[in-house]
Amino acid sequence: MPDVPALRISELSKSFGEHRVLDGIDLDVRAGEFVAVLGANGCGKSTALRCVVGLERPDAGEITVDGRPAMVFQRIHLVNRRSALDNVCAGALGRLPPSRSLSPRLFPRELREEAMWCLERVGMADQAGLRAGRLSGGQQQRVAIARALCQRTNVLLADEPVSALDPSAAVRISELLAGLAGEGLAVVAVLHQPQLAVRCADRIVGLSGGRVTVDAPTGAVSPEELDALYVPDRVVV
Amino acid sequence: MTTAAPERRGTSEPPRRPWPSAITLGIAAVVVALHVVAWNATGFSPAALVAGWEGIADFFAEALPPDLTWDDVVRPSIDAAVVTLGIGLLGTTLSVPFALVLALLAARATTRGSVTYQLARGVLSFLRAVPDIVFALVFITAVGLGPFAGVLALVFHNTGVMGKLWAEAMEETELGPRDALRVAGASRAQQAVHAVLPATLPQLVGLLLYRFDVNVRSSLVLGLVGAGGIGFLINQSIKLFRFDEMVTHLLVVLVLVIAVDQLSALIRRRLGV
Repeated sequence: MPDVPALRISELSKSFGEHRVLDGIDLDVRAGEFVAVLGANGCGKSTALRCVVGLERPDAGEITVDGRPAMVFQRIHLVNRRSALDNVCAGALGRLPPSRSLSPRLFPRELREEAMWCLERVGMADQAGLRAGRLSGGQQQRVAIARALCQRTNVLLADEPVSALDPSAAVRISELLAGLAGEGLAVVAVLHQPQLAVRCADRIVGLSGGRVTVDAPTGAVSPEELDALYVPDRVVV
Repeated sequence: MTTAAPERRGTSEPPRRPWPSAITLGIAAVVVALHVVAWNATGFSPAALVAGWEGIADFFAEALPPDLTWDDVVRPSIDAAVVTLGIGLLGTTLSVPFALVLALLAARATTRGSVTYQLARGVLSFLRAVPDIVFALVFITAVGLGPFAGVLALVFHNTGVMGKLWAEAMEETELGPRDALRVAGASRAQQAVHAVLPATLPQLVGLLLYRFDVNVRSSLVLGLVGAGGIGFLINQSIKLFRFDEMVTHLLVVLVLVIAVDQLSALIRRRLGV
């Protein structure tokens, strides 16, 4: 793995009113690494990711990313009335000139071909023409991941990507994320299923009370440490 | 054999339903007071209505049966109804681009900043606050009597109303798809085109059809002040005390309104809105 991290978070802090959600988080993620972020509800996992992609403004700290990070969401956030292919193409809007992005009909042929390649990578090429709203939750999440890939990102963030999926779809999506990390992406996924993290991730980062309390290779994290992450107001030393 | 039914009663006391607060009672009192003021201000008098029933009876005696002379009444009435429909149609469709731009600027999900937002809201409020009949009188001074003034009046007023309704629909849309595109680096315009508009399209079309329905009926009223169409014929009939002709025009209006209503309902069903 390269020495320079694809994502570096230093001393990241964020409060909502009086409530301090992030209290000086440090995290390095390298290309090709799949990091699972675990922790109880409200410990700051999602807020940290939202700060990285700019959906929240941090109060303090520094975030360095190799290129523009992409993100997939728990609620997926596809445009249901548009086809899977059009949704994936939308991931490239940031690099399209206005004249080619006023309508999906104006998307360049090369973009549509690249979007098909992204759909192939997530196993959804045969559903490209279907409206996103007609796909199952697992299929929609695959399309959302393809949209992130179409962004040509080096850093893929996933905020509870499997929380709304059935167990088998959750495993397949987690394995897909692990596969993408294997292809060279830096992947950070917030998970609520420690068993999935143990099964698929290279490294587990645990948050508690807005601080990183666990950060170790998956095999080095004990079941007790994982359990402790879900005990409210308890910090693992 | 009978067994005693288990007693389905919790041991803890259910919370008491609170009495209306002083604020609620105060609001109710204000609403009642406003109705009393309105009753007096409008001279609302059921007794006067009962006392004057003979006037209504005379009116119907003169109005019925309707005059169904084809060349002099029915055909001109149908021709004028087509003009009325045209005023309503153009008044609606020509306002679409203006309403869309203002709605995008007046919705928090798509606007560019608080100044733009407030400015767009202000323009929409102004266009909505000025009645279409006032716009019609203004445009008659510029382009003369006739349907064109009616179309212009409806374009201006409908831009205000439809822009406001569309902006509200866009504000209620789920922001997730927009955020996803924002993360991908899409501009505000791209977020609007590829996330907000597709998500709200059914509501926008539904509101457009509703406004078309309203505008066709509004164009009747505009005809009364000289903007052409069947409203103009109704006005003429009233001035000439030809109430039998007026009833014929009203029957044509009835058919027109039902047809527009059915057409709107059909399109809504087809679009699933």
